[in-house]
Order: sequence, then structure tokens, then C-alpha cells
Amino acid sequence: MSDDTNPAGNSAEPEATGRQRLIAAVWPPRVTRAQLTVAVLLFVLGLGLAIQVRSTSEGGLLRGARQEDLVRILDELDDRSVRLEHEKQRLEGQRRELENSSDQAESARKQTRQKERELGVLAGTVAAKGPGIQITIRDTTGAVEADMLLDTIQELRAAGAEAIEVNEVRVVASTYFTDSGDSVRIDGHKVSGPYVFDVIGEPKDMEPALNIPGGVVQTLEKEQARVEVTRRKNITVDALRSAKRPDYARSSK
Amino acid sequence: MIAVLGLIVGVVAGLVVRPVVPTVVEPYLPIAVVAALDAVFGGLRAMLDGIFDDKVFVVSFLSNVVVAALIVFLGDKLGVGAQLSTGVVVVLGIRIFSNAAAIRRHVFRA
Repeated sequence: MSDDTNPAGNSAEPEATGRQRLIAAVWPPRVTRAQLTVAVLLFVLGLGLAIQVRSTSEGGLLRGARQEDLVRILDELDDRSVRLEHEKQRLEGQRRELENSSDQAESARKQTRQKERELGVLAGTVAAKGPGIQITIRDTTGAVEADMLLDTIQELRAAGAEAIEVNEVRVVASTYFTDSGDSVRIDGHKVSGPYVFDVIGEPKDMEPALNIPGGVVQTLEKEQARVEVTRRKNITVDALRSAKRPDYARSSK
Repeated sequence: MIAVLGLIVGVVAGLVVRPVVPTVVEPYLPIAVVAALDAVFGGLRAMLDGIFDDKVFVVSFLSNVVVAALIVFLGDKLGVGAQLSTGVVVVLGIRIFSNAAAIRRHVFRA
């Protein structure tokens, strides 16, 4: 590095102070060789200064960083991305677990709903629809009694009836039949002829079961009742009964 | 006056034109700028001392820049680039301070 002290310098005014020289150099402007060369060099300096300042402020830290720093930064970034990758895998595993468990819960809920509907059909708390038969018993002489209707119900159940309704009364496990003068009470509801049974089940099984010799139909016809059995593609059993919580019986499981 | 204008024009040009610096030169630019600053302060001091010579200024400016860049380049090759460039900046900073002190004495007489 050189020094600018030049012993062969030409001092035009030996008695002039530094300040006067400075002012003389700045004003008035003179186009001299010295001024021009200095201007060119200062132009280069200003250019470099501006470029450097701009690249430092724009390019961030990496632009001016040296090789070993860059290697270190790269290593750190690699480490970090590995760590984040691990973290990501862990979280994805967690998400899978949660999704699986919520899937399981969903299918369990679905099964429960399905079961509820099935049990509802049996318990008479939901309406049911399906193929079946319709039986109409016209009692002209008042000879039909509760036990005959009960026999009919039992025959139908033995033949695989799944949902039964008699004159808008749903027949379930606890249903009982009692005689009440000319008519019959089913679960306490007074029902009189003609008795219409809407039965959901396999018609091919139930109709022959009713019509066997000595069966329900023959017994009723012996009592002067007219019995009609018709197969239907679509029987609707929509009489409902409310679910009743048992007072004494508890699940033993 | 024209010299000051040159500096201003250079800064403006650098900000407006946004020239692309080749990557080879990039690490040496900051050191070169500091070295050039040192030369400029030296020149200013010489002018106030009344011994300014444009030839000497040109030579000192260019040699300052080249030597500073060379030292950093050598440091990079030896694996001590960071430390050596710090050293160069420290030395140049000291020189700039001493020159600034001389200029201050001239201008403010204190």
C-alpha cells in the first residue's frame, strides 16, 4: 500500500492553509487533468460502493459469504431438513393412526345404527317394509276368538314372519291377546273383524304353513270365518310401539 | 468539483444500471472498495497538505485495490481468507482514521 505523501509535490501557494486549498479545489470548477483523473477513479469507487451496498442489502447473507461459511450453512440446512423430515414422518404416522381410529369409530357407529334398525323392526319401534302376505279374516258369526288369532301369529312366526301388524296394532314379543265380548283385545287395544294381518316374511314359506291340512286356515273356516291369504310384493308395517325399558330384567353381560 | 461529481455519478450509476458483477470478482469487491476509500482519504490529505499529485494518486489508488484483492485471494488459497480479509480491513481502517484525523486538523485546525 502506498502513501500519498510525495516529496516532489508542487505547492503553488506555500502560505495557503489546507482549508483554502480545499475551497480552491472545489470552487470554481476547473477542468484540469488532475481533476479528470481523480473524477474517473472516484467514479469507479462510487460504482463499486453502490454495487457492494446493493448486493449486500439485496442478496442477503449468502451473497458475500465465503466458501467455508457456505459449506457450514449448507450442512446446517441439511441437518435441519433431516430433522424436519423426521418430524413430518412422525406427524404423518400420527395422522394415519387418528384417521384409522376415526374410521373404526365410524364403522362401529354404522354397525350400531344397523343393529338398532334391525332390533327396531323386531321390537316394533321402527316401520318395516318388504315382501310378505296379507291375511284377511272375515268373522261373520263372531266365532273367532283370541286363541285362534294367537295360533295364526304363532304359525306365522314359525314360518319365519319378521314383522306383523294386526289392524294397525304391531305384534311384538310381549303382545298378548284377550277375549272381550264379541271382539278381541290385542295389547289392550280393542280390535274387531275383519282382522287384517300385514306380515313381512317369505311368502312362499308362510302361505303353505297357513294352508296345511288341519292348519290355521282350515280351523278358522270350520268356525264359519272366511280367510283370504294374498301374497304381496310390498307390505308396509308402519304401526309403531314405543320402546319400553324393562323394570327388572337387566342385561347379564 | 469535477472529482466530487465523478463520485456522485458513480454511485448513481451503480444504483440505476445494476451491473452484474462476475462471481470471480465478487468476494474481492468489498476489500477493493475499502482499499480505494483509503487511497481517496490519503489523496484528500495530500491535497490539504499541498503535496497532491494526480500521478501518485492514480498509482496509489490502483495499487491499493490490486494489493488488497491479491491478499484476500492469497488468503482464500491458503484457507485463511476470512481472517486475512479481516486483517486487511483493520489495517485500512486504521489508515483511514489517521488520514481523517489529519484532514480534520487541516479543516478545523483542531
